Amino acid sequence: MKYGPLLFLGILLTLASSWVGLVLAPYKQLGGLLPNPATNAVGVVSYFPEARKGEAQQGAEHYRSLGCVYCHSQQVRPAGFGGDIDRGWGRRRSVSRDYVHDRPVMLGTSRTGPDLTNIGERQSDYGWHYTHLYNPQITSKGSVMPPYPFLFEKRRIGPGGVSTNALKLVGEFAPGDGWEVVPTPAARQLVEYLRSLKSSYDLPEAPLPKAAGDAVTATAVQ
Amino acid sequence: MSPIGILLLFGAMAVPVVALACLRWAAKNGQLQNGDRGALLPFDLEEPLDKATDQILNRKSAKS
Amino acid sequence: MPGELADEGQRRAMLAEIDSSCRAPVLFFVISGLAWLLLGTLLALVTSIKLHSPGFLAGWDFLTFGRVRPAHLNAVIYGFASQTGIAVTIWLMCRLCRVPLISGGLIILAAIFWNVGLTIGLIGILAGDSTAIEWLELPGYSTPILFFSYALVAVWSIITFRLRRESHLYVSQWYLLGAILWFPWLYATAQIMLILEPVRGTVQAAINWWFAHNVLGLWFTPIGLAAIYYFIPKVIGRPIHSYYLSVLGFWSLALFYNWNGLHHLIGGPMPAWMITVSVVASVMMLIPVITVAINHHFTMVGHFGKLRYSPTLRFVVVGALCYTATSLQGVANSLRSYSEIVHFTHHTIAHAHLGLYGFFTMVMFGSLYYIIPRISGREWPSLGLISIHFWGCFLGLVLYVVPLSYGGILQGLAMNDATVPFMKVVEGTLPWLKLRTFAGLLMALGHVAFVGNLVWLLARVFGPYRKPVVAILSGTETPAIAGK
Ligand code: HEC
Repeated sequence: MKYGPLLFLGILLTLASSWVGLVLAPYKQLGGLLPNPATNAVGVVSYFPEARKGEAQQGAEHYRSLGCVYCHSQQVRPAGFGGDIDRGWGRRRSVSRDYVHDRPVMLGTSRTGPDLTNIGERQSDYGWHYTHLYNPQITSKGSVMPPYPFLFEKRRIGPGGVSTNALKLVGEFAPGDGWEVVPTPAARQLVEYLRSLKSSYDLPEAPLPKAAGDAVTATAVQ
Repeated sequence: MSPIGILLLFGAMAVPVVALACLRWAAKNGQLQNGDRGALLPFDLEEPLDKATDQILNRKSAKS
Repeated sequence: MPGELADEGQRRAMLAEIDSSCRAPVLFFVISGLAWLLLGTLLALVTSIKLHSPGFLAGWDFLTFGRVRPAHLNAVIYGFASQTGIAVTIWLMCRLCRVPLISGGLIILAAIFWNVGLTIGLIGILAGDSTAIEWLELPGYSTPILFFSYALVAVWSIITFRLRRESHLYVSQWYLLGAILWFPWLYATAQIMLILEPVRGTVQAAINWWFAHNVLGLWFTPIGLAAIYYFIPKVIGRPIHSYYLSVLGFWSLALFYNWNGLHHLIGGPMPAWMITVSVVASVMMLIPVITVAINHHFTMVGHFGKLRYSPTLRFVVVGALCYTATSLQGVANSLRSYSEIVHFTHHTIAHAHLGLYGFFTMVMFGSLYYIIPRISGREWPSLGLISIHFWGCFLGLVLYVVPLSYGGILQGLAMNDATVPFMKVVEGTLPWLKLRTFAGLLMALGHVAFVGNLVWLLARVFGPYRKPVVAILSGTETPAIAGK
């Protein structure tokens, strides 16, 4: 083969095909998805998924910046495909509409840690999250999740006594007499974000399973 | 089917047709002839066919 | 035989000029690539240790796992692999087009920009500006610099291609031209639609994996295959097994590979057709993979003895074998039933390393063993260091990929069984992760040996240890083992 232009053309056309198929077509099909309106018992219309606001949205930035996505996915595979639903990672499969507010969309490709699509429903306790982020070994001995001590401030207990938001640390993890560990704003935002991660709403294309509503509890998640 | 779907479908069908046309054109123009010539392009005067190169790990024994 | 210069003396002089014209630009890319390799290896070791000993270096945000890991990836992908790939591309282009390198200053400028852009980007990642989009973590303020640099290289390549003195094209040139034209398209699409003007929702995921898979398949793979197609025949002194198969291999790769990406989203929140299309295309990849495998491996038949003495051949042949292996593994991974198990596990990580390390990096190492003596006019000073390099990388690779692939399958099976507590799944991965750190140390040893050898060689060019130029091409200093 010696004809350069033929080669050029072939090279460009082949990639053009998948550019149309895997970039343009998804853009056309999914780029315009909107939240779904739902009317509650008293006739108030709200839209799902809800947009994240304030601290939760700032928390998403920390989640991105600290690279939680390299160990945690945020996508629940359909029932019968993998153990996602059985593990209690979500009540229903995730669908495209669930992500219309996310920038970036952090589906994740690794489950070194559990899926977090529904962590807000599974675990909403601030104290647990703070302790876990401060050092996962306290709540989950043997975890490979990194500790995030830099999201906390270790300081002397002030004249007013131990702060209300100080972590309850005991034994080897205790900060020492006269000291306390309190979450920084970043830690608080991150936990607000985690608490906002819920896929507990109905969507027409992915309805919640009936009656299974309350079957998902923190204990089912192991 | 949406217009885009139809477009995609026809686009998909057009790909093999275009590919075949290119192939026919290439064959007619002699692009596919003399392929063995192409296979010899890595070789040159200094590193010709049938000469193994880069046998450097043999350097010691070759010197002695 | 080749070239349009009539006189044999002129033709020999031209060959020498091609190599010497490549010296500064190619070396610049190689040296910066290897510097990133060392940094990338260090980041890799830190990442790997953190994954079984999470307390390691955990006190600083810029060294947290979620930042060091993307820093590692971007250092080795854009720092090492891309720059070394560009170096090899430049040299192969000059040689196959039979023209001396034009405007070397432009290439060096491109390399400087590339390194500046990447340094800014990597600092950005460690400082928390990562985009968290896999393979595209470099923050938006650094990538335009990389793109500009890349554009210089691409324009240079196309001009060189136009100036070629040999009208026939060799297989390697198709692949190189493919890589050069595909990459900017992929990169620009991803940058614009994901980072500068992000699209909404899961369209991002589709574009992310269209890009990330294609950057392997349409950027690294073609450069690696181009090098294999050049160096195996070159070292053994025999042409490729079947030139016609290589045509089929190239065009089937071009047709099918770019449709593969969305198999990374199997089970994910995407319309079924997108994933199905990618699964089908992934299975079709059997065609290019098998044709290329036949071509590479059959060319070697009868020449295995030459592996003993040629470092280039050793690395390149290992790379070619890994290409076959990783591609077949890739086809398996793209099947729904298998993906159901291994998706989200360390199996994927092992697969990625079989491709980028086993295949691409090994082929690049092999190519550099061939190229550097020819452009610098100096032999490799230490054969011992070459052996350490080869065996360190090879054993490291095997110990990395095989156990972690297996461990990943176990991890996936355990994770899909909801009766196994999650912490048990985590525990089960620890032995494999520790073994991986050990494998990484072996690879690191190999890299240090290689860089040491190169520094030593360069000292002979520039330093007070200057050695006379050896005539590698005419074979006086490097006696070839005759014909068999
Ligand atoms: C090195 C991998 C890794 C990284 C990085 C990581 N995690 Fe984890 N994560 C784990 C593992 C393993 C577990 C399970 C054991 C445990 O609870 O610690 C876990 C558990 C969790 C849980 C509890 C899930 C449950 O179902 O109980 C939350 C919440 C969590 N991680 C949040 C985060 C956040 C937020 C970040 C980023 C700041 C993060 N993780 C980064 C590995 C990781």
